Amino acid sequence: MLKIENLHAEIDGKPILKGLSLTVNAGEVHAIMGPNGAGKSTLGYVLGGRPGYEVTEGSVLFRAPRHAGLVPASRATSDTAEQSWTPEQARGDEGGEEGEWIDLLALEPNERAAAGLFLGFQYPVEIPGVSNVQFLREALNAQRATRDEKPLSGAEFLKLARAQAAALEMDAEMLKRPVNVGFSGGEKKRNEMVQMGIVDPTFAILDETDSGLDIDALRIVGDGINRIMRRPDKAVLLITHYQRLLDYVRPDFVHVLADGRITRSGGAELAHQLEREGYAEVAA
Amino acid sequence: MSVLELPSTREEAWRYADVAGIATAAALPRDATAIDPASLFLDLPGARILIRDGIVDESASDLGRVRLTHVAAAEHALGRRTAGPGWSLRLAEDAAADPVQVVHLATGGANHLASEIVLADDATATVVETYAGAGWSNRALSVKLGRAARLMRSVRFLQSAGFQSLREDAELGQGASLVTTFLGAGHAGSRIDAQLIAGEGTYTEYGGALLTADEQRQECAVRLRHAEPNGQSHQLWRAVAADRSAASLAAAVEVARHAQKTDGEQSLRGLLLHRTATVNLKPELEIFADDVKCAHGATVGELDARALFYMQSRGIPRAKAQALLTRAFVADALDRIGLDEVREAFVADADAWLERVL
Ligand SMILES: Nc1ncnc2c1ncn2[C@@H]1O[C@H](COP(=O)(O)OP(=O)(O)OP(=O)(O)O)[C@@H](O)[C@H]1O
Ligand SMILES: [Mg+2]
Repeated sequence: MLKIENLHAEIDGKPILKGLSLTVNAGEVHAIMGPNGAGKSTLGYVLGGRPGYEVTEGSVLFRAPRHAGLVPASRATSDTAEQSWTPEQARGDEGGEEGEWIDLLALEPNERAAAGLFLGFQYPVEIPGVSNVQFLREALNAQRATRDEKPLSGAEFLKLARAQAAALEMDAEMLKRPVNVGFSGGEKKRNEMVQMGIVDPTFAILDETDSGLDIDALRIVGDGINRIMRRPDKAVLLITHYQRLLDYVRPDFVHVLADGRITRSGGAELAHQLEREGYAEVAA
Repeated sequence: MSVLELPSTREEAWRYADVAGIATAAALPRDATAIDPASLFLDLPGARILIRDGIVDESASDLGRVRLTHVAAAEHALGRRTAGPGWSLRLAEDAAADPVQVVHLATGGANHLASEIVLADDATATVVETYAGAGWSNRALSVKLGRAARLMRSVRFLQSAGFQSLREDAELGQGASLVTTFLGAGHAGSRIDAQLIAGEGTYTEYGGALLTADEQRQECAVRLRHAEPNGQSHQLWRAVAADRSAASLAAAVEVARHAQKTDGEQSLRGLLLHRTATVNLKPELEIFADDVKCAHGATVGELDARALFYMQSRGIPRAKAQALLTRAFVADALDRIGLDEVREAFVADADAWLERVL
């Protein structure tokens, strides 16, 4: 679903990512751990397309198995909408009718979102004067427009937003407030997951969604990630510093990102080992 | 055609003025545009005044309590050109009129008109004015508010070409309230030139949003004088400038020596949509009393790049994200409009501007 090859990226001329390669298949959860300043958030921003993050080398290919936002021009008119799926096709990695690899880095950030990408921010941004409801309805309808789907009416949207807020035990009143303004650290992270539930992406990069959450919130958010993203046709890149979130969202792979590249990969047990022994020992 | 005598930009009050723009506007050829004035009136009860090229079109107007009469012109470089017949709204004590709508439709060349609003004690009025068409529309307005009288006034500049210049003089009697909101969302230049004198215990709001694009120039120069104690005033202006346009906000608050307990606020904020645009802010406080509360803030900035990326990363196209943030920026100013229909119409005009420019 996502193929990152030899990715190099810099900020203000300073190299941050230095040859990072990673492949994520549909149905998988990959955890990324690593020391502060290693480039984890940078990876998320580069995948999301943040201005100022310049890719100097390498490639990122993305293939969404379901409602791919950008249908290749050659197939835009074919009648594949109502087909059934073999498990291989559903995985999105076995070729077949659906899913052509797209050059993710060539897309605008909003086109990446419409193609199914979601970036959960380590530091969600406050937007005074724009309500959560207005923001998310614009976002969802813009994505739907790109996919040739009908926009949701105000009432339809509110129903969806309320259901997602309820599922993450967020007070629906918070939907009316300006985006993240005055939200506590944990509330902002929970709001990121409500947003994820509403736009229903196929690939999520969650940057320290667990930090700032209290013990109960961590479980609720973990359940939310599983509910929204743990599906054979979706995948998650989970950036975290702590084993605790991985107790709820069990990763298929754990990687250590240090000094701009993946220095070690393993299964879920690698996270335990890191917690016991530290980065210096395990992935120097 | 007589030579236009216009103020010099060497005078401080006219420093940012687009004097050349006025001359160009006055020279715009006559062209009876196909604008349907009906589309410029809002769905409100009350009087409807249609002014074509500075002359009230009585057959197309419902004057209500408005009278057509000679109005004394202002002592002002541009305002004095309006001397002659004009319109007048005079309300007796305790009277409350339905909203008065005035549409100024220009079809080229220069046109001038004087007007007055005089409210006796405890009288209340709402006035909504819309400028459309092309040419130089020059206006003077004199406002006199009696004790506890209240005037709510909203003005939108929507001309597609030319210039709109307004000279306003207002005197607020004891406990009177004046709330004026401007929106500049057309293609033409504009200048608002106001001199307000606030009496004891008065409440004054004077502000708005000026949106400029291309080579457009819009500006306001307001001087508010608290002549008596216990007055409260808010001058909240938002300027948004795109392309190579310029918006200038000069707002002065003067507190007379015995005008104690005055509470005066000025909030001037500019937003540059492009680096080639200009916003000039000039807040001024002249305080001669010692027991007053006056605050002023003036900042010019750009859209928050982090917010733009955040919105884009959720799927909102860049132009739409810019529009949402810009709309939030001007919302403070337009929120002051009390009547829902009027506020919604003004917000829709601002949205149309955003749609066109971004
Ligand atoms: N605008 C910038 N200019 C220069 N350096 C930057 C800029 N933004 C980030 N960096 C640097 O890039 C490096 C990687 O930062 P990044 O935020 O990706 O780290 P991280 O792995 O997410 O760390 P953490 O675990 O603390 O969140 C850091 O050294 C950081 O200081
Ligand atoms: Mg980080």
